[in-house]
Amino acid sequence: MGEWSRSVVPIASRLCLLYLINKYLGTPVLTYGPSMLPTLNITGSLVLVERISTRTGKLRPGDIVIFRSPETPRKVVCKRLIGMEGDQVTYVVDPKNSDRCETIVVPKGHVWVEGDNIYNTKDSRNFGAIPYGLLEGRAFWTLLPRKDFGSLAPKPR
Amino acid sequence: MRQWRIIAKEAMARASIIGKFLCLLHVTDAYILSSNHVLGPSMLPTLNITGDVVLVEHLSHRLGKLGSGDLVLVRSPLDPKKTLTKRIVAMEGDKVTFSLDPTRSHSSRSLVVPKGHVWIQGDNAYVSRDSRHFGPLPYGLIEGKAFMRVWPPSSFGLLGE
Repeated sequence: MGEWSRSVVPIASRLCLLYLINKYLGTPVLTYGPSMLPTLNITGSLVLVERISTRTGKLRPGDIVIFRSPETPRKVVCKRLIGMEGDQVTYVVDPKNSDRCETIVVPKGHVWVEGDNIYNTKDSRNFGAIPYGLLEGRAFWTLLPRKDFGSLAPKPR
Repeated sequence: MRQWRIIAKEAMARASIIGKFLCLLHVTDAYILSSNHVLGPSMLPTLNITGDVVLVEHLSHRLGKLGSGDLVLVRSPLDPKKTLTKRIVAMEGDKVTFSLDPTRSHSSRSLVVPKGHVWIQGDNAYVSRDSRHFGPLPYGLIEGKAFMRVWPPSSFGLLGE
């Protein structure tokens, strides 16, 4: 028992530290899908996500955020933050078929997110404003692919 | 000089032991079992208005083993800094019938809980602000299931239906 614990405990404590960094500071995240073109790659982008802004509430419209999907709770989704609570958001309801716009006020405790590629994305225009509690982090730097290496600048609409 | 180095080494060794223990405590607290102080009138008569300490397990919601009738702690969709304690009344796909104002019992509405959401209500329908006010709650906001009360000692025991 002593033999075994001597090799497992250092590994467990390092995993613990790694977990705490992952949960409270930041983590690399692999994103894929067409909804954030051209900012993020369709086949996969490795981005660095920090978790401090969501906890301190220092998010601003234009930031790219990752959040737990309100429709599929096991999935984590990456979109751009467009409006905070109380903001008035104007959005194109169905860009493939018409130019009709709608304006709503983001309710208290919620945020409005949209993908950069409005023609192929499921975002707040489909599932509505999401509660702030679902936000998990802010993506601020792209690691891969190499040609996109660099900071993900906030881009207010 | 050497004395300071010895003291520093010993301090580091002790700090790392405490650090490892706090790490373990945190992981247990967040992912397995924790105790939470819950208060407010919205869950009378199940939970006291002045406050109870309940044991909350954090495994069921990750394994998808929650069902209607469970007492859950959720992050409030209206104020992300607050945690609410309510009961799950309906899971996704279920039809829920509710009356917004129980004092006027003839006004009732029905809807189907959308995918990825649950419907929560406080046991005390008269003062509870719950899904009847802010709509179905995304499953991702559930933080744990309260299954047992440990304080006050007179009401020690499992929390049931």
